[in-house]
Amino acid sequence: MAANRLASRSEGRSVGGDRTLGWWAGSSLRPIIYGLLIVGALVQVYPIFFLLMNTLKTDTQILNTPFSLPTGFSMAPFIDVWTGDRTGMFFGRYFFNSVIVLAATLVLMLAISCLCGYAMARGQFPGNGTLHQALLLSLAVPAHALAIPLYFFVGSLGLRNSLFGLTLVYAALGAPFTIILMRAYFMHMPVELEEAARIDGCGRLGVFLRIVMPISRGPIAGMAIININWIWSELFFSLILMNKADVRTLPLAIALYKPAPMTVETVLALQYAAMALATIPVLILFFLFQRQIASGMTMGAFK
Amino acid sequence: MRGFRNALPWYLFIAPASLMLLTLMAYPLFDTLRLSLFKWGGLGPQTFIGLRNFSKLFGDEIFWRALGNSFIFAIVVPFFTVSIGLFLGVAISRRLKGWQVYRIAFFIPVMMSGVVVATLWANMFEFNHGLFNTVLRSIGLDALVQNWLGDRNVALISVMLVPIWQSVGFPMIVLLAAIEGIPQDMHDAATMDGVNEWQRIWGLIVPLIKPVLASITMLSIIGAMKVFDIVLVMTKGGPAFSTQVLGYYLFETAFRSGYFGYGSAIAVVMFVVVFAIAYAYVRGVRIESVEY
Repeated sequence: MAANRLASRSEGRSVGGDRTLGWWAGSSLRPIIYGLLIVGALVQVYPIFFLLMNTLKTDTQILNTPFSLPTGFSMAPFIDVWTGDRTGMFFGRYFFNSVIVLAATLVLMLAISCLCGYAMARGQFPGNGTLHQALLLSLAVPAHALAIPLYFFVGSLGLRNSLFGLTLVYAALGAPFTIILMRAYFMHMPVELEEAARIDGCGRLGVFLRIVMPISRGPIAGMAIININWIWSELFFSLILMNKADVRTLPLAIALYKPAPMTVETVLALQYAAMALATIPVLILFFLFQRQIASGMTMGAFK
Repeated sequence: MRGFRNALPWYLFIAPASLMLLTLMAYPLFDTLRLSLFKWGGLGPQTFIGLRNFSKLFGDEIFWRALGNSFIFAIVVPFFTVSIGLFLGVAISRRLKGWQVYRIAFFIPVMMSGVVVATLWANMFEFNHGLFNTVLRSIGLDALVQNWLGDRNVALISVMLVPIWQSVGFPMIVLLAAIEGIPQDMHDAATMDGVNEWQRIWGLIVPLIKPVLASITMLSIIGAMKVFDIVLVMTKGGPAFSTQVLGYYLFETAFRSGYFGYGSAIAVVMFVVVFAIAYAYVRGVRIESVEY
């Protein structure tokens, strides 16, 4: 895939030109450019550092001495928001809701998208071209424009306040993009292996399940990685479909959590702990799959 | 008949996705269009009122504020994210010292959830104890202390800073990949010609990545047009509607006030605007699709 090729080049030496001549060599702009980069990087990272530090500080420290470092490490704020005994917001539960919706959406979305993308790439059937056009068009439809009918439709299925209902909506919203990219991938996959299996008497579905799926693990994982982010962060549909407290997802719970500062010694830290709970998994994921995430996002934009 | 026999298995392959997309995307889209012609409180009968929702929108000041602010968002946010992203992409592609660090630093916020980012910034913007005002007061710049989210002249700017902060890394990473896709021999040829860095950027790099630049700009514009999370968390459209945007106004009208017909009309406007931008892009730029 072009995107992967591009990303893999990003390691290694300078692109274009000789490094000894270097960037703006001898130019008076050089210090300005470095200055902008360093200040910019600090501006990007400091708020995240601030977030993590504040999980360990008392309200007074957070508000009056924002730059002070925490005096010690304690898991207490995390345990408090996780169990919800003090806050009434059971973030452990919301965390699991988010994990369940994320996992279920990925499985459902990838399953239907691979099937559909594979058929579009390999099959010759009336409507194939139309389907592709329709999918491309659907990328330009803002999800907000679907919200009102979806709210009533999901309600009529009895799936409001249901993690499964939210999963269906997310899987549908993410499917067009996934199908388009999986189709593009399957079109460039050599067909010989599949033909050999067909001759051996394997049915279409058998070929798909036993041959195509196993050798496509990489791209499928890539599609999962680039979809994790928006599913984990999605607020709008969670807000309109999930009205009961026990089915909230993490972003919804954070948006609704409004602690009153200074009522007891540490209230704000709890809010920051809840935010960290949503952020830390993403950061871990980022450091594990940096390359794949970057190339996945790039792939989307090239489309 | 034989053709159909061959096609049948493929139809079974596309059936699950098609079924889901028809029921959860195509049908809701058409139903939004239909509902926009009705007056409906969510329960009870739907009353057909023709285009009255739209004529009412036309005279609705809050709607115009929301539409105007959405356009401001869609112009200002992409302008900064794409131009800063281009600067970063070029700088990192030239392997400036510490380029790996910059790449990670600018990309991490892209991964964070919008709600978390908005909550964090709302806390930093807070008037009495927020980070910004505390810093300004402590260094004696009390004159610059602002009611960042409570002042109708400042709030929109404050709110727009947040998506700019969060998403500069996205155009950066995409443009970086495009820049690194430029063949080395073109750079070598330019070096032979003795170009300076400035000429290399504007004469070689930017023209060659123009399609990607156009596509990332369009994606950023559409993304900014759909802003919702940040407004909900930070201002709820206030003060005095100074940060009201289409997405949030739609949510309020339909799901808070229960005007589902009128809300559908707002949704239709949003759909038309986003679709028009995408269409103009496809017709105007017509990039060759990149092979995968």
